[in-house]
Amino acid sequence: MEEQMAKIDLSNISHTYNPLDPKPTYALNPFSMTWENGKRYAILGPSGCGKTTMLNIVSGLVRPSKGEILFDETPVTDLKTEDRNIAQVFQFPVIYNTMTVYDNLAFPLRCREFTKEKIEERVKVVSDTLNLSSFLNSPARKLTADQKQLISLGRGLVREDVAAVLMDEPLTVIDPDLKFRLRRNLKEINEQYKTTLVYVTHDQNEAMTFAENIIVMDQGEIVQVGLPKDLFEKPKTTFVGYFIGSPAMNIFHSTVSSDHEVKINDTTIKTNSNLGNLKDKNVKLGIRSEFIELAEKEKSNTVKIKLTRVEDFGNFKLLTGKMGDLVIKSKVEREKPIPDGELNLYFPPEKCCVYSDEKLV
Amino acid sequence: MSKLYTFLKYFFITFWTVFVVAPFLWAVSTSFKDFQSVNSKVTYIPWLDFEPTLEGWRVLIKSPAKGGVDIVEPYFNSIFVTCTASLISIVLGTLAAYALSRFTFKAGFVRNNDITFFFISQRIMPPIVLSIPFFIFLSTIGLLDSLLGLVVVYIVLLMPIAVWIMVDFFNRVPKELDETALIDGCNPYQAFYKVVLPNSIPGLIVAGMFCIIFGWIDFFFAFILTFTEVQLLPVKVVALNSSITPWWSLSASALVSVAPLIIVAFIVERYLSKGNLSGALK
Repeated sequence: MEEQMAKIDLSNISHTYNPLDPKPTYALNPFSMTWENGKRYAILGPSGCGKTTMLNIVSGLVRPSKGEILFDETPVTDLKTEDRNIAQVFQFPVIYNTMTVYDNLAFPLRCREFTKEKIEERVKVVSDTLNLSSFLNSPARKLTADQKQLISLGRGLVREDVAAVLMDEPLTVIDPDLKFRLRRNLKEINEQYKTTLVYVTHDQNEAMTFAENIIVMDQGEIVQVGLPKDLFEKPKTTFVGYFIGSPAMNIFHSTVSSDHEVKINDTTIKTNSNLGNLKDKNVKLGIRSEFIELAEKEKSNTVKIKLTRVEDFGNFKLLTGKMGDLVIKSKVEREKPIPDGELNLYFPPEKCCVYSDEKLV
Repeated sequence: MSKLYTFLKYFFITFWTVFVVAPFLWAVSTSFKDFQSVNSKVTYIPWLDFEPTLEGWRVLIKSPAKGGVDIVEPYFNSIFVTCTASLISIVLGTLAAYALSRFTFKAGFVRNNDITFFFISQRIMPPIVLSIPFFIFLSTIGLLDSLLGLVVVYIVLLMPIAVWIMVDFFNRVPKELDETALIDGCNPYQAFYKVVLPNSIPGLIVAGMFCIIFGWIDFFFAFILTFTEVQLLPVKVVALNSSITPWWSLSASALVSVAPLIIVAFIVERYLSKGNLSGALK
């Protein structure tokens, strides 16, 4: 097998769709990033945050307004799409209607003038992986939407020499059952062939289960790059805290009262953050509902809340309570008895995140 | 209720069919009549009402020297001019339409839509406005009264139709299709003729149909821009009329003039009924 996969460097890239405007709005603010060879990445963020623009820049469909792209240290910014050796799968199936399934899958190889034997071999491998073997001779337009999307996916995977396979929410049209299986297939393909996979999604579960590294984006900005665990436990901004996890992170307005303590209303909460130079400033305290514990009685780092709602999700209970006008959510084990009315919640200091100007201290 | 609906449905279909087909049957019957059967009294059925004769048809292929009208040469002239002009219009029009659909043009205040409108505006103008410029243009370049001159003029008339239909068609082909082809390794030209064009065959057929129809039925420019050297079918058919209207040969020539369009209609209908004219891409 040819080893042509590459490390992809995005260096100081930024992009605007209206460069002639005196005050252009940027779809992507300047950023630099490296995609290591053979890894799985997920780009996660709300609609319109620049995810697709980033993919299009890498595949060459969009030329960045500023910055450089390097594949294995070689600049490719001025290289055309067809010369870049990138595979890209779009959100909705794009198939060549006039061709059979086989011809669709073989098309990228034929364009690059592979031998007939090689084409046959690769199409067989890919069609087996994607369960398309029995349709190879049918016209592609006769297939259902999710089978068509498998063809698009297959065209991306059929070339084993690609620098990366970019997928723009590729599983949107596919039903949940198959989605789960396909994600696992993609993971296997990545582990077996060491193909770099980049997966754009707005679904955090999809991102968390698929990728080793998650890139969280918001309004053209890369907010955090990290492992699923980092994003969950130490969100770098309040946006990541809100966006990742269900329910979203509890975030409270608070004031710094000492080097390690903040005050919410009148309750003092100890944290492990060093807040020395933020004394008396307004900050935000964030804590995941998963990390908040039920406390038997009032002690240090507990807050007293008035229970307003208990929702049973089957595998856990979600408590919603009020402290003054602040709403606090806490996930507790299903078996735990929940006392009525007022109760104490314990905030473990190591799990408390303090945000100044929406950024983690 | 549903019975009444079915009855009404079939009633209107029958009514419409008769309405459309009757003139053709009338022309077919008339083309086999002679002077006597047309002018004495109304006759319908051959052999019963009148004695059929092939005279109306024979006249069409007889040379004028032998008292015929000879529409064979104009017929082939018309086929040549219509097909050549349609073909060139489709090729140029498709390329123009693809560019207008996929690229953004800016020249002063002119944008893509303005260029498309400029093409269509050629058809909005009354033909009479164009006749004098065309006449002067063709006489300047020495192509008046020639097949080539007519081809040039017909390209001007037909290309807007091709551009108009194909721009609309290409706009409905998602640009992701081109992009996918590029990613799969085609250069932009290959992406066009290997991927976009095969997907656009239904659009090409519709555009071709309109070009052929409008080219074939044009009388006005064929009449103004030709004299003696070259004649097209519509002009020749009209010229059949004289002080005594020869209804029999007029009917016969009308039928042979319509025949190619009927064939075109049958071919296009097959594509229309396959349902792949719209929604070719989802």
